[in-house]
Amino acid sequence: MARVQLEHVTKRYEEVIAVDDISMEIEDGEFVTFVGPSGCGKSTTMETVAGLTKPTEGQVYIGEKDVTTLAPKDRGVAMVFQNIALFPHMNVFENISFGLRLRKYDDEEVSRRVEQAADIVQLEGMLDRMPDEMSGGQRQRVAIARAIVRNPDVFLMDEPLANLDAKLRVHMRTELQRLHRELGTTIIYVTHDQAEAMTMSNRIAVLNEGRLQQFAPPLECYNQPANRFVAGFIGSPSMNFIEGELTEAGFQSDNVDVELEPEQVPGVGVGDGVTLGVRPEDVHIVETADAISEQTARINVETDVIEPMGDEIFVYLLLSETAGHSMDQDPASAPDQLLMSVTPDTEIRAGTAVDVVLDRSNLHLFETATGDALRHSLTDRSEPDTGTAPTEADS
Amino acid sequence: MTDDSTPTDHRRQRYRYEYQHQHADENERRPAKTDGGQSTDRQSDSVLIDGEDAELDRGPLQRWVANSISNPGRAYRAMFYTATIFFLFTTLFPFYWLLMVALTPEGRQQDIILTPNGFNPGSFVEVFQVLPFYRYMFNSFVIATASTIVVLVIASLAGYAFGRLEFPGRVPLMLLVLVISFFPPAAFFIPLNDLFNTSFFVLEPITSDGTLYNTPGAMVLPLSAIFMPLAIFILTTFYSQIPDGLEDAARVEGTTRLGALFRVIIPLSAPGVATAGVLTFIAVYNEFFFSFLMTDGQPENWAPILEGILGYQGQYQVMYHLMAAASIIGVIPVAILVIVAQEKIVSGLTAGALKE
Repeated sequence: MARVQLEHVTKRYEEVIAVDDISMEIEDGEFVTFVGPSGCGKSTTMETVAGLTKPTEGQVYIGEKDVTTLAPKDRGVAMVFQNIALFPHMNVFENISFGLRLRKYDDEEVSRRVEQAADIVQLEGMLDRMPDEMSGGQRQRVAIARAIVRNPDVFLMDEPLANLDAKLRVHMRTELQRLHRELGTTIIYVTHDQAEAMTMSNRIAVLNEGRLQQFAPPLECYNQPANRFVAGFIGSPSMNFIEGELTEAGFQSDNVDVELEPEQVPGVGVGDGVTLGVRPEDVHIVETADAISEQTARINVETDVIEPMGDEIFVYLLLSETAGHSMDQDPASAPDQLLMSVTPDTEIRAGTAVDVVLDRSNLHLFETATGDALRHSLTDRSEPDTGTAPTEADS
Repeated sequence: MTDDSTPTDHRRQRYRYEYQHQHADENERRPAKTDGGQSTDRQSDSVLIDGEDAELDRGPLQRWVANSISNPGRAYRAMFYTATIFFLFTTLFPFYWLLMVALTPEGRQQDIILTPNGFNPGSFVEVFQVLPFYRYMFNSFVIATASTIVVLVIASLAGYAFGRLEFPGRVPLMLLVLVISFFPPAAFFIPLNDLFNTSFFVLEPITSDGTLYNTPGAMVLPLSAIFMPLAIFILTTFYSQIPDGLEDAARVEGTTRLGALFRVIIPLSAPGVATAGVLTFIAVYNEFFFSFLMTDGQPENWAPILEGILGYQGQYQVMYHLMAAASIIGVIPVAILVIVAQEKIVSGLTAGALKE
């Protein structure tokens, strides 16, 4: 068990910067998830911790030791790979005991520990099977057993559930959490699935284009995203963004206006471009919005497409009559559309005009030019809280 | 056919009726027709219908050709058998003939065509009485085995570097290896022979006079170098196909890169390693040029099998039956090796070693 620290880690390939000056500190026993779209550098960052990739610049510490130039085998890490990577020419026992045998443990100790590990991942009685005789979930458990059998200081998991089917993935998700609770080992987990990140981790590191965007507990990333990228990436369906301008009267755009004092928004002045962000569940139909203490002015919209999901209904709203039905655009980011999520008992039909309001306490303002968050709640009594969104975890 | 008869079918049946009465002697076409309903059959029938007059002129060959056009599988099968028989004949007939020569008693070697002139299996024993032929075989076996080991070890390292690492100059280096393999070995001979006849102080404890001439080294070194490029190319291809994840897993679990090569990559590339090994072994075992010139031909001086076979050629007579018998005996180790290695290759492929 150990803490992991990255200091200004940069990985540059000939033309591309895969990892750009990432610094973070992962506490002992913490479950940290690296999340981001593919190509954002999350796997490369993990590989620098594993020692499979040597950073161009920067240092990696595990425990108190600088391991930047150490070979993977000497770092006390264990890794579970996306493609599982069991050795196909060895049976389950040989796979799990591979690392122990390399370290010259005596036979008795090897079989005792292998049995213990197999017990934890519920693989009893399968030790003499070959990997190609097992199902995907079983193979994944062997890979996990291979990782835990050595009692590593740090557990690295690179999209371990990506190749499993949806049902098994949910099951393995809870198993991994149980495992973390039982072992208490530091775990670094890489995924592009924000649902996995939200459900499993103590803290999430959101990465984009090789840069660390936000490193915070899941709900903080959800409620107080550090910038527009995090706001759009965390949460499904993703946040609506409306681009506009800050005026004396508040936020103004073509279709949506929000009253507020310009002084309430730090960092920008009157006339600067700002973007309003609102999650689908914070858009309400006027008739059902009584419970919301602070509402924006009514917005007149037309319902477009309705997607009943069972536990909720997604409604695509057209903000203006000229709103296009372009197919090649992500509906949530289309400028004239708004995605609303309502309870399943709401009676709503496509193609009708309705009035909606936004919940002021959950509105987000971003600076259009930089994407940085300016303010996370537009209620009068709340203090501007932009500063609390921790963009730099190394501070 | 009668169940789903269409108007076309009826017309076809009528034609067939007439046809069969006109050509009642052509029985061999009838079975093909009675299974009916097949599209290929329909096609060939329509050919007959269109050209019923021409049909009268057709001989068996033309009918076979017409059949092959509608059913190309027949032609491919025929081509396959022709090629196979030709290959087997050209490969196996020399062995048969060698056996006939070996079985023919001394002095009656003229006019052996398909049967031996007499029967003398004793020549297979005589081979070992006239010369210490087993010693020549042992020498050849040692030289080929040593070369194979050297080639596999070095080519594995080269194959790993070429197949799994990205480094500047990778492609030019591979081309250089390829170019070396195109060099005529004879071009190396004179400098090498000179070198191997030079006395080196460091070699004196190992070889009596400090030279490599008359030692296995004089053959293992040049032959390994000559057959190395082929092995490098084979192993590069195989090693590059092992998923990176497996090597990464091995390294995280506790091997070095070299350890991962020997513990994971090579076992998973067993078919490729077996192929490269067998090809190298056979090539070295069969090699003539260096084997003939790098020793003085004495069995105690590591002369290979080739010198043994040539040893049955005296100044005044040539014992062809012994040369033939020795040749057959000399083939046996290679034949055994191929049979064993073939099983290895097949088992490696069917084990799905590369599946992930």
